[in-house]
Amino acid sequence: MKISKKAAYKGIIYLILTLGLIIVVLPMIYMLSTALKPNGALYEYPPRFFPKIKEITLENFQYILRQKKFGNNFINSIFVSTVTVAIAAVVAAAMAFCIARFRFLGRKFLFTFIMLTMIIPGTTLIVPQYELAVKLKVINKLSGLIPFYVAWVIPYSTFMIKGFVENIPRELDEATYIDGGSVFTVFFQIILPLTKPGIASVSIFNFLTAWEEFPWANTVINDDLKRTLPIAISGFFGQHQFTQWGYVFALSVLSLIPILVVFISCQRFFIEGLTAGSVKG
Amino acid sequence: MKTKKSQNIQIGFLLLPGILIFGFFTIYPIVKLFITSFFKWDFGSMFDQEFIGFANYKEVLTDSYFHLAFSNSIVYTLITVPAQMILGLLIAMLINNINKFSISYRVAYYLPVITSWVIASLVFKYVFNTEGLLNYFLTKVIHLTSGNIHWLDSRWGGMSVAMLLGTWKGIGWNMVVFLAALQTVPRDLYESAALDGAGSIAKFFYVTIPSIKGTILFALVMLTIGGFNVFTSIKMITDGNPGHKTESVLTWMYYKAFSTGEFGYSAALSFIIAVVLGILAIVQFRMMDHSKLD
Repeated sequence: MKISKKAAYKGIIYLILTLGLIIVVLPMIYMLSTALKPNGALYEYPPRFFPKIKEITLENFQYILRQKKFGNNFINSIFVSTVTVAIAAVVAAAMAFCIARFRFLGRKFLFTFIMLTMIIPGTTLIVPQYELAVKLKVINKLSGLIPFYVAWVIPYSTFMIKGFVENIPRELDEATYIDGGSVFTVFFQIILPLTKPGIASVSIFNFLTAWEEFPWANTVINDDLKRTLPIAISGFFGQHQFTQWGYVFALSVLSLIPILVVFISCQRFFIEGLTAGSVKG
Repeated sequence: MKTKKSQNIQIGFLLLPGILIFGFFTIYPIVKLFITSFFKWDFGSMFDQEFIGFANYKEVLTDSYFHLAFSNSIVYTLITVPAQMILGLLIAMLINNINKFSISYRVAYYLPVITSWVIASLVFKYVFNTEGLLNYFLTKVIHLTSGNIHWLDSRWGGMSVAMLLGTWKGIGWNMVVFLAALQTVPRDLYESAALDGAGSIAKFFYVTIPSIKGTILFALVMLTIGGFNVFTSIKMITDGNPGHKTESVLTWMYYKAFSTGEFGYSAALSFIIAVVLGILAIVQFRMMDHSKLD
């Protein structure tokens, strides 16, 4: 008797979770189904959630893949995101290591400032940053994105990696110094290898940030070929007289693929990194 | 002595790139923003910036468009933050009670979080279009309304769509964070509560909530910042229309800077937002420290 009550209880949990899930993924499915419909059908009435089996087509995807500029946009996004991730990982790990391990002049000041900038929305700095980009002559260039993205993700990355550094026993550092190792030896041979999971989780987050960034890239880049994917997707609006939703969502689906690959293959690090900051308190 | 000196040089080397990038691309713009907010600076006075004290701040604070945008951001935060937290916690508690498929549910509920804002906004814009799927469903399938609703043509219609999107996109993050917190709650706390005759609801309020208080406050701080950060979704879905009634503080700041060229005004506005968020974060962090002492 008791077991069946428990089974019913479990059944209800699965039912609620599945219903919730359907609601949550509904918009994603609709995006995919719209991308698979013939472009003309999008303006037909009535709108349908699923396309008819026989009208499913890849023509929207084929159109996107035929346009050379979208290939460019894709490469731009890959380039900007990877370079941002690589620079941010090294730079933030070095800062996190120094802040966690050494007392130097301005240490507290530096850390307070890092924490403070985590509170301020990045977009509030868009005017002075734009001015800076004009002065540096990086408007309409990918080099106008990368340093700003790196600066943007440094506070969070440093803060997170610092937590991982603090979990490494100091004795390891000291043993290396006694063996005649330098600060560099400790950083490259002890800290970097041992904080790898932390750096990995931060890097996934940074990749996502750079990959989907919209306001800054939309402000700095005007040239079709220099655009990153989010700007390319939003570029469908206003360009045509009416919006080609099939193309919009085909490009959207394609731009989600790298994120899905990164997320599913690195899921473990991702969850670890997200929760590291929250449960400590 | 020599080793100490070379150690300091190495520390300097490690710190330098970070400090340079952070200083040049973040700190310098913050300082510049602060200075700009005290000058008259717009398209008309590009090369002739005049110090005008607090005039920009006064203009922002007395501007009815700013009041509208500010109240939109407040409402957005007040609604989306609790909505995400409650739904995220609920799903986390449900997943915490099952073994089979737990990972699959987690991954699937997290999908909206990793979907970019641009894409998610466009899907919602498409669904809530006047000729879109939702209106068709409401009028022709379940006959709830007789005519199409113009979701995106009114202040609260547009804001509701943005808030729905914000909540939809945020549930997964809350679920993951709360799930991690729930797994740290000791089982015997529940067992001894059960011995005292506590039911599920009593257990929730007297065991679960106090045990994850730190995480609740952490989420509160992060989501409040996120709520005031809302930009891309509103820009894509309504672009502030109709008549700037659906602007958030950041889309309004952007409009003033890049469409009307009032840089001084938007600098003052940015600074006001930064200060408001700073104060809110300090208050919430204080609450967090306080809860640790309990």
